[in-house]
Amino acid sequence: MGAVIARLTRAEWTKLLTTRVWIGLLLGSCVLVGGFAALFTGFAGSSGGGPDGQGLPAIGTADFEQLALGVSANATVLFVVLGIIGTTQEYRHRTATPTFLTSPHRGRVVIAKLVAYLVAAIPMALLVIAVDVLVVSVYAGARGAAPSLSGDNLRVLGGAWAALVIYAVIGVGVGALVRNQVGAIVGVLVYLFVVETIVQAIPAINGAYKWLPGGALEAMTATFGQTDLLSAWQGGLVLLSYGLVAAVLGTLLAVRRDVV
Amino acid sequence: MRLDHHDAGPAGASEEAEIASGSRAALEPVRVEVSALTKTFGSVRAVDDLSFTVEPGQVTGFLGPNGAGKTTTLRMALGLINPDRGTTTFNGTPYAALTEPTRRVGAVLETAFHPARSGRNHLRVYCRAAGIPLSRADEVLDQVGLGPAGARKAGGYSLGMRQRLGLATALLGDPAVLVLDEPANGLDPEGIQWLRGFLRHLAHDQGRTVLVSSHLLAEVEQTADRVVIVGAGKLVRQGSLEELRSGSVGSVLVRSPQTATLAELLRTDGTTVVTTDGHPDGLTVTGLPVEEVGRRAFAGGIELHELRAHTSGLEEVYFQLTAGSEQYAAGRPATATTGQGAS
Repeated sequence: MGAVIARLTRAEWTKLLTTRVWIGLLLGSCVLVGGFAALFTGFAGSSGGGPDGQGLPAIGTADFEQLALGVSANATVLFVVLGIIGTTQEYRHRTATPTFLTSPHRGRVVIAKLVAYLVAAIPMALLVIAVDVLVVSVYAGARGAAPSLSGDNLRVLGGAWAALVIYAVIGVGVGALVRNQVGAIVGVLVYLFVVETIVQAIPAINGAYKWLPGGALEAMTATFGQTDLLSAWQGGLVLLSYGLVAAVLGTLLAVRRDVV
Repeated sequence: MRLDHHDAGPAGASEEAEIASGSRAALEPVRVEVSALTKTFGSVRAVDDLSFTVEPGQVTGFLGPNGAGKTTTLRMALGLINPDRGTTTFNGTPYAALTEPTRRVGAVLETAFHPARSGRNHLRVYCRAAGIPLSRADEVLDQVGLGPAGARKAGGYSLGMRQRLGLATALLGDPAVLVLDEPANGLDPEGIQWLRGFLRHLAHDQGRTVLVSSHLLAEVEQTADRVVIVGAGKLVRQGSLEELRSGSVGSVLVRSPQTATLAELLRTDGTTVVTTDGHPDGLTVTGLPVEEVGRRAFAGGIELHELRAHTSGLEEVYFQLTAGSEQYAAGRPATATTGQGAS
């Protein structure tokens, strides 16, 4: 079985690299993260316009450095989309038929996709992190002090890196579950930006937030403000569990559902 | 047959080399056996207790009107749709249990590819997945005449080129069985001619098992050695084209000024007598040989103006066999019913 899954995994990489989806999403991630890094560095230390006078922490403080080095986590949205497209394109373009003809054991196809996107996301996420570090180091360096890449700063970078990779895996699982590409992407975006925000805003249930994907992500990268979060490694495990649950459910359904 | 295909040992390597060089030893003939397949979608019984066999070395036409359950049957045979009941086996083994299914069975079920991916890369994906050397992609592209278009995005292919790309995908593993669902759709006359020759070559010269579905008899009439005819999900007839032709129900046309009396004489058990369309003095008789019709008319002293036997063509037989079994028959022309609306 191992050899078959290795073959199927290589086939997934060929699929990924022979269309331009990955380039678009990777460039988008870099632009998004680079932009956030520049904004946060540019406005660092300003008093802010709000009535409470809160602003961004000043350059040179630990708070600023961890905030600026954690903005890579914003690209998780695009990484989850990468995973979703990886699975749902099979149904959208009907290639599920030749794919499942080549491997009638559909569970192996899902496992191969999980492995393929996990491995592919590692260098992609590394590039996004590198863009973040580069922008912050150059810009903050010019404005006073470049952050050191050690201690808590390194932990934040590692957390963001892991989160990006895990979100790509979650995307594969969600795609296997939902199959409809637009539905899966819209559903995930609505969940992340609307549902979790609502959960956070309602006092009666906001204790559950730390167990949700967004809360777990924040546990891996956030540094200040939130106190009711899991520890970073717990957050990582919770995230990974969501990805695996989606993948297992998706696999079970993929085996049962007719490919018409 | 290797039982442990997980272990990519020397056996696997030599098999890859054989496929790459195209010098594979004689194919193992594969017999396909469809047995009691049944599938219901909602309230529609798409396939109903369907059994038939497909023999190696022949092209078998799988015929039936649109909606007769052909595609559902093929998808069940290939493990894509789970049947409610029944099995399909390839020399005794179901598709999902085949070791290296791509090398045993090739299927073209629809034109499925990512539009942004080139034809060659599309094929390479399945080479990788099936453990076949990437060079095989170019071989099959040439085989189906798509060589020069291999580097172009498949989304820009014409319908005929898409069908050829589908066929190329099916041929990747050099399979002993080929299953094609409506492969002539979108092919121009030249392409259809080429496809007929190609399928006959694969079956007759190379001993492969070829199953081609179609809703048009004319399409398979010149290619197929055998036909399996389905209607409303049920088997209507299976056999060689000759058997089908000889088993066709002939009729007798007779014209006489005394049609009413003649009809009385001819109407016995097992015969039908109807007025012939367009001839007020004509009768169409089935179930009686032309000699018997003449004898009875003579015995009854009835004047005849015409008496001839009519053997229906294969097209007519097919039409008779499947008549009334369309899932979605066209309605009668609107003029037949609208007249009653105004009152």
